[in-house]
Amino acid sequence: MEEKIMPNKNDHYVSEFQAFQQNGASKSPAWVNDVRTLALSVFTERGFPTTKEEDWKYTNVSAIAKSPFTYSSGTSGIPAGLVESLLIKNLDQYVIVFINGHVSKEHSNLEGLADGAVVKNLIEAYATHTDIVKEHLAKYVPFNKNPFTALNTAFINDGAFIHIPAHVEVAKPIHLLFISTQKEGKQIASHIRNLIVVEEGAKVNIAHSFHSAQANSNLTNVVTEVVAKKNSTVEIVKVQCESVLSYHFENLHVHQFHESCVHVFSLAVGGAIARNDMSVIIDGESTECNLNGLYITSGEQLIDHHTFMHHIHPNCPSHELFKGILMDKSRAVFNGKVYVEPEAQKTDSKQTNRNLLLSDDAVVDTKPELEIFADDVKCTHGAAVGGMNETHSFYLKTRGITEGSARGILTVGFAAEATQKIVHPELRHHVDVIVVDHLRTKFGTANLPDIVHA
Amino acid sequence: MIEIKNLHASVNGKEILKGINLKVNAGEVHAIMGPNGSGKSTLAQVLSGHPAYTVTQGEVIFEGQNLLELEPEKRAHAGVFLAFQYPVEIPGVSNSYFLKAGLNEIRKSRGEEELDSMQFLKMLKVKMKVVEMDPSFIHRPVNEGFSGGEKKRNEILQMAVIEPKLAILDETDSGLDIDALKIVSSGVNKLKTPQNATIVVTHYQRLLNYIVPDFVHVLVNGRIVKSGGKELAMELEANGYDFIREEMLQAS
Repeated sequence: MEEKIMPNKNDHYVSEFQAFQQNGASKSPAWVNDVRTLALSVFTERGFPTTKEEDWKYTNVSAIAKSPFTYSSGTSGIPAGLVESLLIKNLDQYVIVFINGHVSKEHSNLEGLADGAVVKNLIEAYATHTDIVKEHLAKYVPFNKNPFTALNTAFINDGAFIHIPAHVEVAKPIHLLFISTQKEGKQIASHIRNLIVVEEGAKVNIAHSFHSAQANSNLTNVVTEVVAKKNSTVEIVKVQCESVLSYHFENLHVHQFHESCVHVFSLAVGGAIARNDMSVIIDGESTECNLNGLYITSGEQLIDHHTFMHHIHPNCPSHELFKGILMDKSRAVFNGKVYVEPEAQKTDSKQTNRNLLLSDDAVVDTKPELEIFADDVKCTHGAAVGGMNETHSFYLKTRGITEGSARGILTVGFAAEATQKIVHPELRHHVDVIVVDHLRTKFGTANLPDIVHA
Repeated sequence: MIEIKNLHASVNGKEILKGINLKVNAGEVHAIMGPNGSGKSTLAQVLSGHPAYTVTQGEVIFEGQNLLELEPEKRAHAGVFLAFQYPVEIPGVSNSYFLKAGLNEIRKSRGEEELDSMQFLKMLKVKMKVVEMDPSFIHRPVNEGFSGGEKKRNEILQMAVIEPKLAILDETDSGLDIDALKIVSSGVNKLKTPQNATIVVTHYQRLLNYIVPDFVHVLVNGRIVKSGGKELAMELEANGYDFIREEMLQAS
């Protein structure tokens, strides 16, 4: 009898999985292990996506499929002072730090959390909040659709767990800080799993940051499930500043109920290949969702945003603004899908994607995808790709500003139009500073304005 | 100060200016009037170097220099200023940064010291009084969320900061109520000196009650068809542009 030969690329993850089962995974409950095993079989059967698949047409991940990323158990050392430098300046914040996907309690500070609000690592939550974890974990994100999500689910281990009880308003932002670091010269894979449950009427602001301790080619593969119950208000501000040699994937999935209001912002500047899949399931009447982002690419980076706005119920507004700044030979992808179910009358959905090309060699693939099955809705979309606006540039020059400075000023202005969507003033300022610092580095001049908002 | 000779300009292959001749001396205020589509705004944009327009014939000499050879920023450095009909909004960038960046480039080009933030803010506060602008505008993003009147005041503030030799005001009165019109005009008048000159481009005579011109030129179909003193503006107000057209018909 002939033995069934597994495709090579997946063998590696089967043996990785076996090693994982023997050490890191042993602390979690049996039901988690069942989900893992199932997800692994989905992944091994399917393998990494190829550009023949519509969802991955413009994002070639063969470099990732070929690299033998290693699961790293336990936290590794990171340079002294790094965590402090990555905190949000001049802001009182709760912070939980993960290094290569493992919680680092010595760097975390959750002192003062009150009113039953919980921020901890998932491994602890398995024991202390069993019912909540079991009710929600891996219940929202399908892992049979996205291979990276399947891989993440196979390696579910640690990540952030947030539970905000009903009607609790968390006064300070909660900062989830993920640092990827090199270990023994190997390419490390971190499969980070976050679960955020915000109960009825609760309010919370979350900073969701990803950084590299040094130039490394690690893989950070994240799945974040967010549940926003009735009448809750949630803001998530993601900042992805990983090494330009690294690979970053996140499937951020928001499930919104009746009259909840969610704001998500994604700043993406890091990664050789970075992809954000952001899905919002609008599962309740009169909910509001604002999904916005800014990506800045240079060198040969590729940054991909795939959004999915699923309108199930009537009277829901959803707004998306994604802006991109592209330099050198970099590439960006924006795919914005809006699906309006027949029952979702009076949907008010607006999607905009605007790209500023600062180089002739940069490429953007932008694609709106609207599927509308209700007849009384307002759904608009617009996509633009272009260079510097000639009239804007002329205006600056008539004031004596040189071509080079005008380019810098207008690029900052272009970015600011996206960041102004962030609601929490300090989180917005935090992102503004990162954006301008990044542009100063890329433009090779300190002579760029700090962002101010009206 | 500036001499325009037989200036022809086109946009997308369509000729808009068909031979403009105009001389403006220091200390003078010239008004360019004309019906819609006559080429008034095009003249303003061409003098400032908007890249959408192509000059096909003629020359413009500004202070002995061939102006048409210069990039827009070099024209600004040389002393030409254009107040826009539709000022551009620049989100994220504060008014003070924008003004300081331009002013310091101009100072640098003249071999003058750049102003530091303290010196600049001190000067800016004085200039803001010229257009009765609230100091909070210093830190707001350029023109973003400004009313029509605030935008035009901001244009004149920029002019006050830059102190150009030649200011070209393109339809500065459009969209202004009477109070804003008075403030903007009084700002322009305060900035007038024997050393500088102003070209006021306008459709209506209304603005010229406040900024009194020494000369009025009527632009029709890309050419200056009539020039005169300030009384010409009154005549246009009373009779409309049709009487010019009739005069032209009779002449031909």
